[in-house]
Amino acid sequence: MTISAAGSTAALLSQRLIDMRSQFDDLQRQLSTGQKSDTYAGLGLDRGLSVSLNALSAALGSYNTTIDNVMTRLNVAQNALTAVGKVSSNLGSALSQGADSPNNGNTTQVSAKSWLQQLVGLLNTKVGDRYVFSGSATDRPSTATYDQMINGDGAKAGLTQLISERNQADLGASGLGRLTVTNASATSVQIAEDSATSPFGFKLNAISSNLSNATMSGPSGSPSAETVSFAGVPSAGENVTFTFDLPDGTTSNLTLTATTDSPPGANQFTIGGTAAATATNLQTALTTALGTRANTTLKAASTVQASNEFFDGDSSNPPQRVNGPPYDTATSLVVGTSANTVIWYTGDTSGTARGSATARVDQSLTVNYGTRANETGIRNVVQSAATRAAVTVSSTDPNGPNFTSALDNRLSGHIDGSGGVQTVTDIEAELAGVQTSMQSIKANHQQTGNTLGAFLDQISGVSKVQVGTELLSLQTRMQASMQTTALLFQTSLVKYL
Amino acid sequence: MSLTQALSSALSGLNAAQTGLSLVAGNVANANTPGYVRKTATFVSNATGTTGSYVQVGSINRVLDQFVQSQMRTESSGAAYADLRANMYSQLQSIYGTPNGTSSLESAYNNFTSTLQALTTSPGDRPTQIAVVSAAQRLTQTLNQMTSGIQTLRSQAEQGLSDDVTQANDSLQQIAALNQQLAQSPQQDSATAGLLDERDNYIDKLSKLMDVRVVKGDNNQVSVFTTSGVQLVGTKASTLSFDSHPTVTPQSQWSATASQRTLGTITLTSPGGTRTDMIATGAIRSGEIAGYLDMRDTVLTQAQAQIDQFAAGMSTALSGTTTDGAAATVGAQTGFDVNIGSMQDGDTISLSYTDNATNTQHKVIFKRVDPSALPLSDPSVVGLDFTGGTASVISQIQSALSGSNLTVSNPSGTTLRIVGDGAPNLADVNALSTTVNTTSLTGSAALPFFLDGTSAYTGSYTSSGAESVGFAGRISVNSALVTDPSNLINYTSGLSASDPTRSNYIYDQLTSASHDYNPSTGIGTTTLPYGGTLASFMRQFISQQGEAANNATGLKQGQDVVLSSLQQRFHDASGVNIDQEMSNLLSLQNTYAANARVMTTVKQMLDQLMQMGV
Repeated sequence: MTISAAGSTAALLSQRLIDMRSQFDDLQRQLSTGQKSDTYAGLGLDRGLSVSLNALSAALGSYNTTIDNVMTRLNVAQNALTAVGKVSSNLGSALSQGADSPNNGNTTQVSAKSWLQQLVGLLNTKVGDRYVFSGSATDRPSTATYDQMINGDGAKAGLTQLISERNQADLGASGLGRLTVTNASATSVQIAEDSATSPFGFKLNAISSNLSNATMSGPSGSPSAETVSFAGVPSAGENVTFTFDLPDGTTSNLTLTATTDSPPGANQFTIGGTAAATATNLQTALTTALGTRANTTLKAASTVQASNEFFDGDSSNPPQRVNGPPYDTATSLVVGTSANTVIWYTGDTSGTARGSATARVDQSLTVNYGTRANETGIRNVVQSAATRAAVTVSSTDPNGPNFTSALDNRLSGHIDGSGGVQTVTDIEAELAGVQTSMQSIKANHQQTGNTLGAFLDQISGVSKVQVGTELLSLQTRMQASMQTTALLFQTSLVKYL
Repeated sequence: MSLTQALSSALSGLNAAQTGLSLVAGNVANANTPGYVRKTATFVSNATGTTGSYVQVGSINRVLDQFVQSQMRTESSGAAYADLRANMYSQLQSIYGTPNGTSSLESAYNNFTSTLQALTTSPGDRPTQIAVVSAAQRLTQTLNQMTSGIQTLRSQAEQGLSDDVTQANDSLQQIAALNQQLAQSPQQDSATAGLLDERDNYIDKLSKLMDVRVVKGDNNQVSVFTTSGVQLVGTKASTLSFDSHPTVTPQSQWSATASQRTLGTITLTSPGGTRTDMIATGAIRSGEIAGYLDMRDTVLTQAQAQIDQFAAGMSTALSGTTTDGAAATVGAQTGFDVNIGSMQDGDTISLSYTDNATNTQHKVIFKRVDPSALPLSDPSVVGLDFTGGTASVISQIQSALSGSNLTVSNPSGTTLRIVGDGAPNLADVNALSTTVNTTSLTGSAALPFFLDGTSAYTGSYTSSGAESVGFAGRISVNSALVTDPSNLINYTSGLSASDPTRSNYIYDQLTSASHDYNPSTGIGTTTLPYGGTLASFMRQFISQQGEAANNATGLKQGQDVVLSSLQQRFHDASGVNIDQEMSNLLSLQNTYAANARVMTTVKQMLDQLMQMGV
């Protein structure tokens, strides 16, 4: 502050001392705060840069927090997925064992129940308040409970119910897989579907044979039918093969071999004395064989298809169900509703699974790390465990072992990753890729942060050594100035008068 | 008889020495009195009789270097101006807080964007949602406080002007009064010298308040003018008056018209009764008063406009949905079509084109405004009146763009088409877009995150001016977000708990989207307004303010040095030097002793004469 008008020597001198004192105070502030200035004005020309750098530094800080946060979520998801993978491999070995050595499979069912329970627990893992496997619907568990899934929930049908309905529809009232086997004429056997439109039961695909004195026709007509017409009798060892399409998209070949034995063995028919007798024998043998095939392979395919429908369902797209009752004569499927059918997956379904959770980890980089319980890899494990857990086979059922074997075979095909189908390991690998890239971005951020910090320090910080030196030199100057001021006032003529 | 002659000479010598002594005493006593000018006496010898002479005090003189004095007055106006500005600038700097300190705007803003960043990662997380709302509240509070800080400074300036005018009036009256007294005592005696000292003192005081020029007349008279030539004191003093407006808001502004004025003006009433508005005529160019005026009407207004635009930018960034025009071609002319059907007051159409003749980029911002606001005083925005229908709007745009070589048309419905001139290639349309503000929390990712008081901010103009003025002081977080932070996510019903659409939108709009800022902020120009992210705009104005404050301090320091050295010179020439006074004292003592000695000798001689007679 400039002093008033014509000041005295004393005022001018003291002004200089005051200036030095304020300089001293400022240096002291710098030393204690480590900051060059407490205003933007004092930062110098780089003040604008410091504003940008502070913003960048804050952004880096929040990116790092995000990375840490997402890492935690991913680690939890990875742990859960590892456990799901373990269940998958246990289930896989139990299923292939069951497929290879037919038994009534009760042991497998018991294990499957406990595995499914484990899976439901794992898939409803939370990090904080956030369900990991529900996509963006983080406030909801990703799956229905074990009990709801298997046994239904009040008015809502569960998997067991759906399987039962579908089995009835596929096997039909006669237990022949919705087929009829008749002697269309005295010398021919006709096998026909019961409905042209029904999706249930065996579907005629092809017929082939090397039977002599016999002609094959079909499948043709509506409903589709195949006919074996005998002009004479075939020779022993010759056979006819019927190829059926099964509800789950697989096919099944039924081969009946001509034999002279009477009664014939399984999948054989006795060559009669005439074409007509042979036709009757074939009709009988075919009916028996179909009955067995329907209760084993078809039932397994039907069960798998029912569980496919069940596990394909989600809130926006409820499962397809058999249009009934009655179910055994049903000819169409109907879309269930969330009021009458349990929806096993309760998370979100829009967009891709990974895209259901995104994080910005850099100005230009967004990582997608969402996971959903209905991703193929996870869903197949759940489906296989649930299907196996839902199916109960009576120990007295003669077809039981073959049925469970056919079922186990199909279910194990779901989770062994064959045919390029996604497995849990694939999901784990994808998430691991995200983790790796985040780690390297974090390392980058740390490096950038260090550089930024150093730069910011250069702009707004002070060197303690420098300030200390300045303080010392200022102190010396102040002392000198005070001494000379004192001396100046002492050396006045007044003293010597 | 020459002995009596000698006696009276010695007596006059004693008198002269006494006068000298009293001057020395006065000088020493006033050594530290500001404005005191050293006095010296001039002695003249008078011949008496045939041989004798006696000494007489001719005049009492002030040892005054008039050149330094006038220079010092000029510099003291400058220094007072610089001081005041530096002082107010430093107060203004404290409003921006310590760099990156917790109270600073940048820290509040960075904190807000950091919480938003966290929200994009965990949209459904309620604590994060609440954190975003609190950070936004901290930001709006910071802006509110900055506004009240800036307005307090403006109000200080208003008060300061009022005080300064009172003080200036006092000085003017005193100068006039002293002029009259001096006219009555034309002698160069010590009383006159004292009066001159006092008058100089008042002129010095006045020169700190405003820049003055002093013209000396005869008989120790002075006239005082402003450097711009307005007479303040002649034989009589003019009177300054200030119509103070105690309440200062961001809307307060000075105007030459009394009815539109919400801040005080300085009026000079001459002794003859003529009134002059000293602000309108720009009569005061330096001194504290000019400093206050500069701060009140320019610097602080601009600082307010900057944070207002920042607040407005932030608000419209989140509430506005910008739709780029669809490319349109008419023969060889190319340009864009936009639909202006859904525009409300405050919504904008932005056009950017290149004048190929001069290769200059132009950006024109059209805004739908309340018809009562037209014509707008803001040159950077073209106001549009929509009450006359699309055809009328098109013709308003046409007339605003006349001379630009662009063709404006209405191909159908409410479509606005602007295309270049085609073959002559004098002008090219680069971009055309509309920005429409939403006032609803649902429907789109855009939302009225911030409110102006309790209603949505639109950025419109009304008859009372631009809504943006003082918005930083009124900005608040939408209370619907405070009561239910999940509105940060739920832009429509049936969304997943962690749907990131809106949080991503908010984050992108605030951190990476570019917005335009009004050139009243001192950043950008009318033809090409500054466009950039909010962070870069903040960087611009914080850095500009810092630089300005730094310059003000630099100017002050420079002025201080100049003034100090002038004061030193003035003091060396006109001030009291004790040593000099002491040596004068010694010499006066000697003179006195010598004169007394002469008297003793004369007395002895007379005594001897007497004895002879006895």
